[in-house]
Amino acid sequence: MTELRVERVADYWVARFQAMASPCEVLVDTDDPTVARRVGAIAYSEALRVERKFSRYRADGVVAQINAANGATVEVDEETAALLNYADACYRMSDGRFDVTSGILRRVWRFDGSARVPESQAVQALMPLIGWGRVSWQNPRLTLLPGMEIDLGGIGKEYAVDRAVGLIRAESPASVLVNFGGDLVSSGARRDGRAWQIGIENPAQLANANASRGGFELTRGAAATSGDTRRYLLKDGQRYPHILDARTGWPVEGAPKSITVLAPTCIEAGTLATLAMLQGVQAESFLDTQGVKYWCLR
Amino acid sequence: MQLKPKQTPSIRQALTVAACTLLSAPAVRAQGTWELDSSLLFYSEQDRVRAIEPVVRLKKQISEDEHFALQFVADSLTGASPSGAVPTTTPQTFTSPSGNSTYNTPANEIPLDPSFHDTRGAISFDWGRPLSRESRVVYQGHVSKEFDYLSTGVGATLSWDFNQRNTTLAAGASIGYDQVNPVGGAPVGLAPMPTFPTVKATSGDSDTKQLADLLLGVTQIISRTTLMQLNYTYGKESGYLTDPYKLVSVVDAGGNPVETLYEKRPDTRARNALYWRTLSAFGKDRLDFSYRYYWDDWGLRAHTADLRYRFEFGGGHYLEPQLRYSLQSQAADFYRPFLRQGESPQYASADYRLSEMTTSTIGLKYGVATRRDGEFAVRVGYMLQTGEDHPANAPGQLANQDLFPDTKALLFQVNYSLKF
Repeated sequence: MTELRVERVADYWVARFQAMASPCEVLVDTDDPTVARRVGAIAYSEALRVERKFSRYRADGVVAQINAANGATVEVDEETAALLNYADACYRMSDGRFDVTSGILRRVWRFDGSARVPESQAVQALMPLIGWGRVSWQNPRLTLLPGMEIDLGGIGKEYAVDRAVGLIRAESPASVLVNFGGDLVSSGARRDGRAWQIGIENPAQLANANASRGGFELTRGAAATSGDTRRYLLKDGQRYPHILDARTGWPVEGAPKSITVLAPTCIEAGTLATLAMLQGVQAESFLDTQGVKYWCLR
Repeated sequence: MQLKPKQTPSIRQALTVAACTLLSAPAVRAQGTWELDSSLLFYSEQDRVRAIEPVVRLKKQISEDEHFALQFVADSLTGASPSGAVPTTTPQTFTSPSGNSTYNTPANEIPLDPSFHDTRGAISFDWGRPLSRESRVVYQGHVSKEFDYLSTGVGATLSWDFNQRNTTLAAGASIGYDQVNPVGGAPVGLAPMPTFPTVKATSGDSDTKQLADLLLGVTQIISRTTLMQLNYTYGKESGYLTDPYKLVSVVDAGGNPVETLYEKRPDTRARNALYWRTLSAFGKDRLDFSYRYYWDDWGLRAHTADLRYRFEFGGGHYLEPQLRYSLQSQAADFYRPFLRQGESPQYASADYRLSEMTTSTIGLKYGVATRRDGEFAVRVGYMLQTGEDHPANAPGQLANQDLFPDTKALLFQVNYSLKF
């Protein structure tokens, strides 16, 4: 726990650290830096725990263990089972568009702003290894086909935010805003009854990332964003966003650059944003139908 | 107009349900991997021994099932302890264990050895790890040192869960090796204490003691709120089991001491104990009852019952009264509060701890949870130990002496634990 820094900003304290490949911060509505440090440490240790356990890069983690099984059945712990159940629900309600087995597409898709769109044969070659429907999931036993992998990256960060805020609530009455790389949750109203003020990044002015187009207030609830305005491919005037449809292995046509959704929990907000992205041109109408508050940047 | 009526709000509702299920999954919070448990005990007997005992235990949770812990204990004792000699109507003079000095006991008072002071330091470890999904092993070891005593030991306990983890069987074994270096050497047992400046006869500068213990236990979950544990332990000691500082008075027909001997105990001892414990939850409150029956081949028999009830007041506060009653119903065969002139027993000890006696303790503990799974607690207790004041066979003046003055002690303990 070396890289946890606290700093006073206006009338609150911020604890900052780096985890899950993102800058993370916890805004703590307090005048006491030790409270800020303690609350920040809870979020930091939870972020590290979730990252260690579920990152596919960590050889000692559960996901690495599942991916190394090569067709063998793996028995998972309760927490992993709960996440797999959630992934299973997302797969079903998105008709297969959202799929935790689609992570291997990153082998051919690199969203680095270039024009390197893969050959369709390269994508096609991976498709036999994608599909939650090919997986045997009987809690707590998971069996993948040899060569298949799972990647909980699409829900891990949001899950960590919800977990962290839950742990903080149990330990401290202070109002906090937990923000892991843009996925955030507010634990409740601030001391003076006000809400936390959230800004939205404006993709049209990326040179100035602090600029915000509009913004919103968050008292108790979550916001998550899908789509990354800096991660895309651009070829022949066509923009390929970061979001891939697991059924085809290709980016969703007509998807917005990014979508931010408000929901009671971060994982709901993140999943709704991703499911909306997967609707492509119908993203907004999907969100309207769901009756959630959102910002869509096209 | 909705472009895709198929996408109904049910997705959002289904997501809410899925998220709720996910986030209400068992809390596997990022627990501190280090645990510190510390306590400080003050113990004070009226006019006798006072002790201060700090304990620090540091535990590292290596994984969910594996831990390593180190414990440090320091004991500091001062005051006086009964030497075993009887009181008389006249002042008595004894030679100190070192043989370099004498001390006096006033008339009609139980002789106390005033040179009783000691500091003990102990280090122990325990390392627990899984052997399979259903079994574990815990290894232990300890070293403790006083200026005249060294104690070492190692052991291991295996346990197996079965019956859907409702039953746990445990088996353990440990061995120990102690070395005693009595001040002034180990006196020859039942030899008379010489008059200063004559030096006592010794059997050597040091002696040793070997110990072996076996444990068999079963823990059973009886219901959602009740758990029971039954343990049997068998222990064997051999070597120098005598207390080199304890004395036995030899009295004449008038009950007056004519001689003081060094005590002598057998050089083996086989101990047995049956232990039964029940833990029961009543709402948030908790009942903890245990009973122990002890017997050994020295003839000692003892029953000990301990009852604690924890009242939870919410917010991490609790109050826990404790009652403990111990009855040593049978003394060691060779326990003799005094010897008569002309007797020549093989073994004899006047150590009150080997006599029949009752010990009652009443205590109260208050604890409060601190942030991050810690606890702060204070405990106060009062202990009363009573024995046979006036043995029926006490001759002459001894019949009028209190041969087992009550021991009254106060204890106060502070405890603090945290995870980090």
